[in-house]
Amino acid sequence: MIYIATFYSHFGAVHFKKICESKKLPAKMMPVPRNLSSSCGTCVQYVSDTACPCEIFPEEMEQVVCVTENGYETVYRVENS
Amino acid sequence: MKNEKVSIILAGCIIGIIGSILVFFGNPANMGFCIACFLRDTTGALGLHQAAAVQYIRPEIIGLVLGSFLLAMAKKEFLPRGGSAPLTRFLLGFFVMVGCLMFLGCPFRMILRLAGGDLNAIFGFLGFFGGILAGIFFLNKGYTLKRTYKLPKAEGKAFIGIQAALLILLIAAPAFIHFTEPEGGPGAKHAAIIISLAAGLIVGALAQRTRLCMVGGLRDFVLFREWKLLAGFLAILISALFCNLILTGATSGTYFTLGLAGQPIAHTDGLWNFLGMLLAGFGCVLLGGCPLRQLILSGEGNTDSAITVIGMMVGAAFSHNFGLASSPEGPTANGKIAVLIGIAVVAVIAVMNTFYQKEEGK
Repeated sequence: MIYIATFYSHFGAVHFKKICESKKLPAKMMPVPRNLSSSCGTCVQYVSDTACPCEIFPEEMEQVVCVTENGYETVYRVENS
Repeated sequence: MKNEKVSIILAGCIIGIIGSILVFFGNPANMGFCIACFLRDTTGALGLHQAAAVQYIRPEIIGLVLGSFLLAMAKKEFLPRGGSAPLTRFLLGFFVMVGCLMFLGCPFRMILRLAGGDLNAIFGFLGFFGGILAGIFFLNKGYTLKRTYKLPKAEGKAFIGIQAALLILLIAAPAFIHFTEPEGGPGAKHAAIIISLAAGLIVGALAQRTRLCMVGGLRDFVLFREWKLLAGFLAILISALFCNLILTGATSGTYFTLGLAGQPIAHTDGLWNFLGMLLAGFGCVLLGGCPLRQLILSGEGNTDSAITVIGMMVGAAFSHNFGLASSPEGPTANGKIAVLIGIAVVAVIAVMNTFYQKEEGK
């Protein structure tokens, strides 16, 4: 599955991409797609069997969506975000 | 994705045309829009500085925030949030304004100055790009101002209320609001309120929809080779340039003069144009967006951006109360010292929020 994770900061995206790479998951950083958010930060697109390739979702992560034929399907969103 | 690029380019073209036409309708030359100058003018109108030549509540600023707010509400994107290092953002906003008033314009006006043939803006652009590169260095090393939090709707709407109050003060024009006397300086040059407000509303809505940002364009291009936002930047430049040339040919006014000397509301000191915009670019990357973007985010309910805008207004008040702002005669000694202090403070903020936050997190 292809996922896109958005973050509260660029640093969060850099950190998460390193996690993906350490687990040999294809991952790339890119600007957040407009359909996903009105914010203009950095997101990570990655390919994985699970939305959360680490033990828990990192603190800096805001949401994760699954890329589908019809657009995006939210699979995780931080409470109080 | 392709549609997104097309819409950004179209929005940029419309914004560039509006930026040029506002000058035709009465705004100062090469200043259809200038977020820094307009915030400075509004600050003066409120009596927070006493530079009589630059005092006017600029409806464009009100329109930008309200345009963003109305569209965000319509699209269910009004999300009150804040709590990400507000005092640090205030300081960054303060020094971004100091840098802009050294150059005499924000990044938006930098583009409009280029479109008007003002080659001094090239030095500003080089400094701006250098500042962005400095900011990107820290981003890649782990710079963060930490996360934002959801806030009550009333908190997100407080800044909208302030803008509405400013609009009432502008229209009512009570005696305690300062307005530059006719022929008294740039503050006296403005389009009719309804035209300026409409221009602000349109540009605010377009910028909210497209996320247009002068800093974001260069940042994304350097980081990801993604030219989407940069295309909007270029579209503003090209459309404003063409519009200026057409207006120069079709009217009695001059909207395009190529050269360094004698440019409207600009000075020719290349070094300080460079350093002023270096400070602005550096600070804006750490803030996550240019002054225009801060206004748009404020309209979406982001109180951190609202605090940044207030920081910029305080920076404008200091700049004129303490002789930091440049004039067409050139930069002042106080202004030069303030810009150097600003670069140092912004660098310290970058270091503290890059390397020391990591240690705190251990």
